[in-house]
Amino acid sequence: MNQREIIDFHEGWKFMQNGITKLKSILEGAAETHFTSEEHIMLYTTIYNMCTQKPPHDYSQQLYDKYKESFHEYITSSVLPSLKERHDEFMLRELVRRWQNHQVMARWLSRFFFYLDRYFISRRSLPPLMEVGLTCFRELVYQEVKVKVRDAVISLIDREREGEQIDRALLKNVLDIFVEIGNGLMDFYEKDFEDAMLKDTGAYYSRKASNWIVDDSCPDYMLKAENCLRREKERVSHYLHSSSETKLLEKVQHELLFVYATQLLEKEQSGCHALLMDEKVEDLSRMYRLFSKISGGLEPVSNTFKQHVTAEGSALVKQAEDAVSQKKTDKKDVVGVQEQVFVRKVIDLHDKFMAYVNNCFLNHTLFHKALKDAFEVFCNKGVAGSSNAELLATFCDNILKKGGSEKLSDEAIEETLEKVVKLLAYIGDKDLFAEFYRKKLARRLLFNKSANDDHERSILTKLKQQCGGQFTSKMEGMVTDLTLARENQTHFEEYLNNNPTANPGIDLTVTVLTTGFWPSYKSFDLNLPVEMVKCIEVFKEFYETKTKHRKLTWIYSFGTCNVNGKFESKTIELVVTTHQAAALLLFNTSNRLSYQEIMAQLNLSDEDVVRLLHSLSCAKYKILNKEPSTKVISPNDVFEFNGKFTDKMRHIKIHLPPGDEKKKVIEDVDKDRRYAIDASIIRIMKSRKVLGYQQLVSECVEQLSRMFKPDVKAIKKRIEDLITRDYLERDKDNANLFKYLA
Amino acid sequence: MNKLGRGQRDKLQQFMLITGASEKVAFQALKASDWQFEGAFDLFYSHPQPRSAADTRHIEELYNRYKDPYVDMIMADGISLLCNDIQVDPQDIVMLVVSWHMKAATMCEFSKKEFIGGLQAMGVDSLDKFRERIPFLRSELRDEQKFREIYDFAFGWAKEKGQKSLALDTAIGMWQLLFAEKHWPLVDHWCEFLQARHNKAISRDTWSQLLEFARTVDPALSNYDPDGAWPYLIDEFTEYLNENGIIEKGKLSEWNYKS
Repeated sequence: MNQREIIDFHEGWKFMQNGITKLKSILEGAAETHFTSEEHIMLYTTIYNMCTQKPPHDYSQQLYDKYKESFHEYITSSVLPSLKERHDEFMLRELVRRWQNHQVMARWLSRFFFYLDRYFISRRSLPPLMEVGLTCFRELVYQEVKVKVRDAVISLIDREREGEQIDRALLKNVLDIFVEIGNGLMDFYEKDFEDAMLKDTGAYYSRKASNWIVDDSCPDYMLKAENCLRREKERVSHYLHSSSETKLLEKVQHELLFVYATQLLEKEQSGCHALLMDEKVEDLSRMYRLFSKISGGLEPVSNTFKQHVTAEGSALVKQAEDAVSQKKTDKKDVVGVQEQVFVRKVIDLHDKFMAYVNNCFLNHTLFHKALKDAFEVFCNKGVAGSSNAELLATFCDNILKKGGSEKLSDEAIEETLEKVVKLLAYIGDKDLFAEFYRKKLARRLLFNKSANDDHERSILTKLKQQCGGQFTSKMEGMVTDLTLARENQTHFEEYLNNNPTANPGIDLTVTVLTTGFWPSYKSFDLNLPVEMVKCIEVFKEFYETKTKHRKLTWIYSFGTCNVNGKFESKTIELVVTTHQAAALLLFNTSNRLSYQEIMAQLNLSDEDVVRLLHSLSCAKYKILNKEPSTKVISPNDVFEFNGKFTDKMRHIKIHLPPGDEKKKVIEDVDKDRRYAIDASIIRIMKSRKVLGYQQLVSECVEQLSRMFKPDVKAIKKRIEDLITRDYLERDKDNANLFKYLA
Repeated sequence: MNKLGRGQRDKLQQFMLITGASEKVAFQALKASDWQFEGAFDLFYSHPQPRSAADTRHIEELYNRYKDPYVDMIMADGISLLCNDIQVDPQDIVMLVVSWHMKAATMCEFSKKEFIGGLQAMGVDSLDKFRERIPFLRSELRDEQKFREIYDFAFGWAKEKGQKSLALDTAIGMWQLLFAEKHWPLVDHWCEFLQARHNKAISRDTWSQLLEFARTVDPALSNYDPDGAWPYLIDEFTEYLNENGIIEKGKLSEWNYKS
């Protein structure tokens, strides 16, 4: 086989045309047999030959043109007319059919004319065959009908929104055309369809929203909004292109939520505030979900939440204050039941709203902050003269001491302690809490009133975690001291056994405390009864055998004594404080003593004498008779041993209520604060050397904020004191600038 | 001397203070060196004044006139005598200026060194000259810079030896004296306030800052910055003024204004 026969163009084309015609009629649905492989090969080969013939018989260009023409001709003669005569849904269906047909046609023709794709197009930098086909369809069909198609699709979408059932598959197919017609670019989809669709969506929801906002309550509106968003999302998955999802949802959110956000939240009966009041947890969750999607949507919600929590908290404060003001006047300074109830309620309130933050508001930081801010507002208000620091400390005391007002299981106690420590975070004056807690801890430890050692240690651990080691170091020292004291006592008893002459004749237990850890106590020069004086001396001797470098200061106010009262009917053992014992023992030498005589003999202050005599003569057990027998101790009273006293028990405890500690605690804390401020100022100035007043103050405040909120005036005073003590000086030219003096 | 410019007068004073020379000598030295300190110092120290010896002798004589019989200091009696001689009331504020020139450590007593040094600084070696000097010394109070120095000096001078702060009564007395010279409308209110509310000694910082306050803050407190670094006593003073209606919204109430 040497030379092929030259195929003449018209001949060749006629052959091809037959093939094309056959193809067309297959597409039109005529009963035709499909192309056999032979026919396929023939058609392909014809093209091949016509392209590879030597010039002037290489017909590549003409064939390329004819290829294009074929589409043109078919489209203009059949496709377009059929589309033009149809409308709406029918048109859409026809379009889909014609597109599918076109793709088949393009595929087949490309196979026939394939050889052009191999060399011709790249040599002349022409678009490949498939692309040519696509472009034809696009220019001739798509551009013609795109507006009509778009409008038809959008109107179907709107009908679906109104609840009608539509042919989703059809829409998917139509929209696929918009996508595929771009041949990799989304431009046509976006410009020719999406933009208009979004605009229509916006208008649609805007209309709806303007009605709903008037007619519906907030929860109902939100429910509708949520549903709409859900349906739109489904719409995308059913027939819209996935890239439309974000834009579509944003549009809907904008029209339904963003535009009407304020109106919605502030609805009188059903807005955010009302939902909080009525505890509509589910609606609030929905509100969070919806508003978190629009920019700046959550701020007003969190603000309303904050206001609500603050109001509830402040109401509790007021409630407690009212309850307290109805108390009897003589019990005013003592932190009582009402205050304890208040603390309980605050804990419960915190739990409740923390649950909101966790569940409704999905732990969002805005809401955590709102909760924190709200609690900080009312947790620093105090109730009836007692600061919250004191109330919390008293609350802990009640839980931790024996016979406290709270009777709870171990688990419940742990949980409650945990919550109390959390509340502490909101209190500005943490150092005040520490001091009150320390004072009460001291009482518990020294009077052996602590209910459970494990709980004591557990709360110290929690406090340490929350506030740092410095906060709890002294308290831990106190607890350790007691353990050491017990050991010490054992040694003391051995010492007594080994030195029987030294024995004072009275059973003595001494608890030695490390001064730095314990609250400061005024030590009175109580005149001890003779019997006790010997005890003190014996212990001193013993202690000096152990260490010579320490000084012992005796705090009698915390001692207890067991005294036998030989009453007429029977002897009863009285458990009293050392002060009370000293007073009672005075009556061993004289039967009748006046207030003044007692005070002189004991060498105590008026305050202490009044309290002590009251406990012995006007309280539950009248060990002493008082003339006149009023309920109040006056300096003119006279006291007598009440021999006729009796009780069915053989062993009774005579309670001596503690004096007012509050003032002293506050004084001590103020003093410590002054030192803390001094130290802070010096620390700052030492490292900065020169610093302006405002900056110094603000850095100082920040450094100290872990423990308390320092008063700016107090800081100013300390700065001046440090100037006087030559730690700092003012700059000569600028009085607002301070310099550190090494 | 009146023809001297402000800058020249300042230089003159400084020169006198540093060298202890009399005004005339100082003037000559400065004039000769074209009012440049370096040259003037050179001139002065290279030409030791023959009269300085005489000066010192005269001054020593004066010292001996006033010195206490038992202690080598001039005490209260001696000061009274001195005041008599120069025809000045001992309570007169000019004595403060004199003490300042002497760099006296404490009021009501002058050491020998202080007396001699002070008279030299003032360019005085006889009672006549002293009397003549008095108007000039008085005038020094009107100099802004000098007043400040004298005011600051007054604190250390008026307080008790060994104390860090100035007793309130003394402080009030000093303030009355000083602010009679340099008028401050609020001085009486300030003293009232201290007696009513403070009743404790005055620190050096408060003392010196008060002058700043009097100098820079308008009596109606319109330019007072409550967040500034003023001593807390001054802050409380402004609160006191507001509370008692002395200052109403930045305006000094008419009937309280003392000029």
